Amino acid sequence: MTEWTKPLPHPTPLSQPFWDGTKEREIRLQRCDACGAHRFPPLVLCRVCLAEEHQWVPTSARGTLYSYVIQHRPATPAFIDDLPYVVAIVELDEGPLMLTNIVGCEIDALEVGMRVEATYFDASDDITLYPFTPSKE
Amino acid sequence: MPAPRDVAIVGVHATKQGRNLGRTALSLMLESFNGALDDAGMTKNDVDGVISFEFPAGTGAGNTLGEVAFQLGNPMRFTSHFSGVPALLYAAAMVRDHVADVIAIPFGGSQEETDGATAAYTRPGYEFTEWTGSTTPAQMALQTRRHMALYGTTSEQLAHCAATLRNNANINPEAVMFGRGPYTAQDVLDSRMIADPYTLLMCALVNDGGSCIIVTSADRAKDCKSTPVWVLSGGIGCFYTSYYFPPTLQPLETRDRMLGAFSRAGVTHDDIDFVTTYDHFASGVPMEYEAAGFCEVGDGGPFCVENIGLDQRFPVSPDGGNLGYSHCINPYNLRIIEAVRQFRNDTPDLCPNSHLGEHTYDRSICRKVRDPKLAVACGPFTGAFSMSILAKD
Ligand SMILES: [Zn+2]
Repeated sequence: MTEWTKPLPHPTPLSQPFWDGTKEREIRLQRCDACGAHRFPPLVLCRVCLAEEHQWVPTSARGTLYSYVIQHRPATPAFIDDLPYVVAIVELDEGPLMLTNIVGCEIDALEVGMRVEATYFDASDDITLYPFTPSKE
Repeated sequence: MPAPRDVAIVGVHATKQGRNLGRTALSLMLESFNGALDDAGMTKNDVDGVISFEFPAGTGAGNTLGEVAFQLGNPMRFTSHFSGVPALLYAAAMVRDHVADVIAIPFGGSQEETDGATAAYTRPGYEFTEWTGSTTPAQMALQTRRHMALYGTTSEQLAHCAATLRNNANINPEAVMFGRGPYTAQDVLDSRMIADPYTLLMCALVNDGGSCIIVTSADRAKDCKSTPVWVLSGGIGCFYTSYYFPPTLQPLETRDRMLGAFSRAGVTHDDIDFVTTYDHFASGVPMEYEAAGFCEVGDGGPFCVENIGLDQRFPVSPDGGNLGYSHCINPYNLRIIEAVRQFRNDTPDLCPNSHLGEHTYDRSICRKVRDPKLAVACGPFTGAFSMSILAKD
């Protein structure tokens, strides 16, 4: 594995199950036991009904491109080699919006509404990131 | 029925705004606090409420009733954390209800206390944001791209907004970007790409500066040195915290709330003489005209091309806005202060006698709105939007 020089996420007890999921090549979200709504980012309570009880469940890891921006300036010097890179929001088929990157797509081919799916990248022993890519489905 | 004119802005002050002023945030805040009190003809002993992101009060334990009361040596009746339009609306409500009588809204911002290039607060180490390499422009550009995809807003329209503001700043000697123009929309499009769809000239640079607003009742305003500017009504809507939750266009949903503010003020959009949008990025302009109800949601791009020039129907920020006048880390108060200064005919520009309040209305040198009586001042369009309707007699 090439050395990862960009910022690594620091999981919290609340978010750890999400990162356990990406490590196993899954996008897992909290699903409310009371009303069935999925939520992301991780929250203590359901956004729809405020119930606390929930399960971490696998999702389709697919969705549509809600919006995207092409970065021509790095967030920090660690991102310089990636320029230009795509920061995007994916609307997961389960409902929640997710901030991510789009990889493996020509910039001219990006289009709001296009189908995308998660890919997985082991950035460290503990952290697997989840950039999205155009869906092959 | 027109709203009662019972709460007024009686003091405003903006320090010099600029890059690397070599001053602390505290010194800029104090200068603006004292300047606004002086403008009102008041002293610190009149103040019984403070609304500020931070107020370095008492022992430094924060902006609490006890800390601020001890520091100012007055009983304190209201403190809260905010700035600009939301703070003004909190203050107006507290004054209207006689909870407090004189509320100060001070702010000071200095880059020396951040780490320079992009302010650290705008790129938090949040686990679901930081790894993506998202920047502040990216967060707002994500809203903008969505707006473009849904409604057909174009880069040319955004460039028109940026050029309009920067040209206002070009003739404002107090503006950070004074004398840098004039610009055409094409100049804006041709500038370096930062976060596509934003080019460099569609983004505000961060600079230093202080600002303060003093709010009181109509009764107390009678004893003030200044001419009151009335706070008629307003509205606030917040949906999520920027930089933590993925940005959406939900703040456009505040529109009905803002239409209600017009009803409560007893005025219509047609009555408004100018609008001070919060434009840390060019997209703030069309989205805020939409959310404030000047046009339908989605129509902001073409609307702005037809309406926001100094001689058009609804001129935008004659000071040059955040893009051209100042983006002093949190320039919330400045949107209100420019409205007050236009009402007072205190608008320095390149007209030979602008210091005497005499204006030529030659738009190559003059940024004075003709005889304004009503204005809309806006808060940022981020995960939230806010707006206030201001009037002079
Ligand atoms: Zn629920």
